Amino acid sequence: MSEIYPSLAQCAIVAGALKILLFPAYKSTDFEVHRNWLAITNSLPLWEWYYEKASEWTLDYPPFFAYFEWVMSQVAKLVDPAMLKVYNLEYDSWQTVYFQRFTVIISELLLVWALQMFIDSSHGASKRAAQAAAISILLSPGLFIIDHIHFQYNGAMYGILIASLVLARKKSTLLWSGLLFAALLCMKHIYLYLAPAYFVFLLRAYCLSPKSVFRIQFLNCVKLGAGIGAILGTAFGPFALKGQIPQIFSRLFPFSRGLCHAYWAPNVWAMYSFVDRVLIILAPRLGLSVKEGALQSVTRGLVGDTSFAVLPDVTPRVCFALTLIFQAIPLLKLFAQPTWDNFIGAVTLCGYASFLFGWHVHEKAILLVIIPFSLIALKDRRYLGAFRPLAVSGHVSLFPLLFTPAEFPLKTVYTVFWLILFLMAFDRLAPASSRARFFLFDRFSTLYITISIPLIVYCSLGHGIVFGKSYEFLPLMFTSSYSAIGVVGSWVGFMVVYFTS
Amino acid sequence: MAKPSPSPHKPRRKAKQAVNSISNIHNVGTVETMSRAPAFPLAAFLWPARGTVSQWELLPLILMAVGLFRWAAGLWGYSGFEKPPMFGDYEAQRHWMELTTQLPISQWYFHDLQWWGLDYPPLTAYHSWLCGKIGSLIDPSWFALFSSRGLHDPTLKVFMRATVIISEYLIYIPAVVVFVRRYSRLNGVANWSAAVALVAILMQPATILIDHVHFQYNTVMLGFVVASMSSMLAGRNLWAAVFFVAALGFKQMALYYALSVFAYLLGSCVFPRINIPRLIAIAGITVVSFAILLLPLVIGALSDARNGIDSRPDIDGPRPPLPLFQGLADYLDTEAFYYPVVEQLVQMVHRVFPFARGLFEDKVANFWCALNVVFKIKNYPAELLQRGALVATLASIAPPNIVLFLRPRKELLPLAFATTAWGFFLFSYQVHEKSVLLPLMPMTLLLASSHGLNKSTRAWVGFANILGCWTMFPLLQRVDLAMPYAVLTLLWTYLLGLPPTSLSAYFQEGGNNWTQWVTLFIHGSFYLAMTLWHVLVQALQPPPDKPDLWVVANVGVGAAGFSLCYVWCLGRLVMQSEILPRSWFAKKEKVKTQ
Repeated sequence: MSEIYPSLAQCAIVAGALKILLFPAYKSTDFEVHRNWLAITNSLPLWEWYYEKASEWTLDYPPFFAYFEWVMSQVAKLVDPAMLKVYNLEYDSWQTVYFQRFTVIISELLLVWALQMFIDSSHGASKRAAQAAAISILLSPGLFIIDHIHFQYNGAMYGILIASLVLARKKSTLLWSGLLFAALLCMKHIYLYLAPAYFVFLLRAYCLSPKSVFRIQFLNCVKLGAGIGAILGTAFGPFALKGQIPQIFSRLFPFSRGLCHAYWAPNVWAMYSFVDRVLIILAPRLGLSVKEGALQSVTRGLVGDTSFAVLPDVTPRVCFALTLIFQAIPLLKLFAQPTWDNFIGAVTLCGYASFLFGWHVHEKAILLVIIPFSLIALKDRRYLGAFRPLAVSGHVSLFPLLFTPAEFPLKTVYTVFWLILFLMAFDRLAPASSRARFFLFDRFSTLYITISIPLIVYCSLGHGIVFGKSYEFLPLMFTSSYSAIGVVGSWVGFMVVYFTS
Repeated sequence: MAKPSPSPHKPRRKAKQAVNSISNIHNVGTVETMSRAPAFPLAAFLWPARGTVSQWELLPLILMAVGLFRWAAGLWGYSGFEKPPMFGDYEAQRHWMELTTQLPISQWYFHDLQWWGLDYPPLTAYHSWLCGKIGSLIDPSWFALFSSRGLHDPTLKVFMRATVIISEYLIYIPAVVVFVRRYSRLNGVANWSAAVALVAILMQPATILIDHVHFQYNTVMLGFVVASMSSMLAGRNLWAAVFFVAALGFKQMALYYALSVFAYLLGSCVFPRINIPRLIAIAGITVVSFAILLLPLVIGALSDARNGIDSRPDIDGPRPPLPLFQGLADYLDTEAFYYPVVEQLVQMVHRVFPFARGLFEDKVANFWCALNVVFKIKNYPAELLQRGALVATLASIAPPNIVLFLRPRKELLPLAFATTAWGFFLFSYQVHEKSVLLPLMPMTLLLASSHGLNKSTRAWVGFANILGCWTMFPLLQRVDLAMPYAVLTLLWTYLLGLPPTSLSAYFQEGGNNWTQWVTLFIHGSFYLAMTLWHVLVQALQPPPDKPDLWVVANVGVGAAGFSLCYVWCLGRLVMQSEILPRSWFAKKEKVKTQ
């Protein structure tokens, strides 16, 4: 079979050039967070890493990520030793910026490698679609905005995740898939959201016999158990010896934060807040009681600790229960039919459930849904139908992350470029489904995309012209509520597709 | 150096009798479309768009992608960023917005000439006025008189960058898009190849680096020139004249092309038969366009004089003499109503054409500066040098324009424009290193010509562009722009499969003629020299007694390479025009194929 153009490497090179040009762009506090971690891991002994708190940006990622920072700091020493001083807060010499930005680009090679693995694992007619999907992930506006402007290392993390997902495609590499995922969990614990799908899939496809669920493959269980044990041991062992595990866990899981993150992630709680705000206005007519204390904090709209004026408050326990319920439903099907497609679908739906119902979800977590979904979005047109509103809403909901005027054209033009290019390409590449399409759902996704255009214009330009600096929460609230409709809509659509295919 | 063919009956001979383009279309860029694999990465990127994708889907994507690179490059610093006391080009442009919006029109060309006094033609002033008015709506302090000097507010930077990019998207980019469409149809190039050429032209690193990073509005002037050429392609010679006047009115540097515009328009009135009405119409419309261009300045001068607004409030007492054409004063009444207009226009000309400056400024990779390394020609009297420069320039630009006059054919336009501009760049007086954009523009447009994406054209166009960027490196380095320089030039060479990223442009399939080896040798040595130069500049300080050694080396190599580009453009122009007797031509071809 002849090569498909453009190749992944070609895209990576051109995208790399654009990313280098972004070096002087706006960078969020995450830049300082990672610089601080470089300093902590380089200048302090291991057992002080999770206790150090000179900066407010304490180390709150699991140990493998800390080791990763330590490795980078060995190079950073040669570039500019000043960035490795723990007390050198907010240090950003141009060497530091060049170095840190470069490490993001270099570490993203992991993603390129994993995506190439994904393309190579597809055969026949689906190879062209796989290549398009891989390029769409590589050029994802999410990674572009979050990693290369805002500053984080998601590219490398998702590279590991995709590698692990691809390894699960073949029976012989199933073990490595599980171990790689365990290692990923020890780098960034946000992937715990996807762990239930892994657990069920590995249990059914690896630990139990394919013929009967009652026959256990003991050897496989031992291999998997020992492997995971070794990985956890490497990650947490040195800290466990010093009895630091409770301290680490208090850093990794800070339960003191509020339901909604500083900006509202487009999930069910954003819609809940929106309804609450509408009810505040309607309350006098409907005769509902309004909690005065909550009124102040909701009006600000930007607060981390949201409380509701009319609707009942939401507790972490409720969030947790809802998340688990909606994760469990698709997992039942995965347990019954442990195919790779179902596995990716289940991973995506686990991502959806935790994003939509989770406690203190950050809008960046939408990538947990978009990226696994991209791998199967081109399976047929029904999958694509569910993917489309997600692609629009998920990426648009990231816009508030960048608020500086210089980055405004970058985020909008890049996202619009990506949406036009890939929605057009996907439309050509996705094969027709063997089952009937949902008439209503296609209409929903077209309508949704159409409405998004004036809304984006209003939120990014119109609002500032009409209201100036006042009512700043309004565009944020519109963006997140509207995006929430898209995410929820695509979730419902995908649930249906998942259970009917 | 078109693809050599054994038969003397070359397809392009048809173009001679067929001025109507339809007969050419049959030869639809076969080479590019039929091949199995893309020859260079840019073709690979557009590979999925072959055949099926309409250009109305492709064009917006292309424009968005090139726009992203422009805007991202603009995140870097600009000329004169935090470099007091004078700052740089950015401050000049900002200052012009300040003075045009804050001062009466009659003072524009007189106001505080020591601080970036206005020295561009009126259209730049009007453009600055418009930008300044819009900017003042956002933040009036950006363009407050005096107090805004040297301002480096980050939001102002965003605004200024936006004015460059919007001006470009309103003028240069539509002009290039239309030009590429018309020119590729004229040459019978397939739509897909034209799209590849369009991206290559729009990603040209030199224009992005100078306009969007270093900061200027060259693309506005270049855009008007492209629009003028594009009108010539469409046979709308009157519009060509109007657009060219606009280009001249925006930046006097457009004069580099003036002779070619003149030669083509005159030629089209003489050949194939003399057409006096057309000549009169063109002359008339040119005069009218100039008049419209100057009208606001004239009206402003008159009304300000009537309202008692002095063009030079800083000078008391009698009116100072005219800066130029002092003889005029004997014939004119300085108290007459028209005198302020004369004064205004003379001052404008005086500002726009600084005759009093030296042969070259700083170090620029042209003939004079390179010659200066060997002979200290700066010691000769200025008048002699001016005369010498005039003679040399005329000698270098005469051949291409004679050819264009005798064969006013549309396909020859980019080559003739490029050759003339190279002649000007190499030999004229008062050249700036940024002027290399002028010959590069028409030369890069050659990518849209027939076989424009073939290896030999690509190799030469690429060579000229890379060399051009390289000669501007000292300029960019001065404001810490080495990174965008490296990224944008390397990206472009990568996309077009050129050295230093690939040597594929020098090896024709199956062909083993000596031209390709000679080209490889010449270009190879230049690329090696450029690489070596970068290594030396990074690694070593120049010897203390020769502090300018690196810059001088840059100038020498640059001037030599640009001379080659001039020769190549001229040679190709002569060959394509088929102006030489066919017997010579065939002999030449035979030699080549052997």
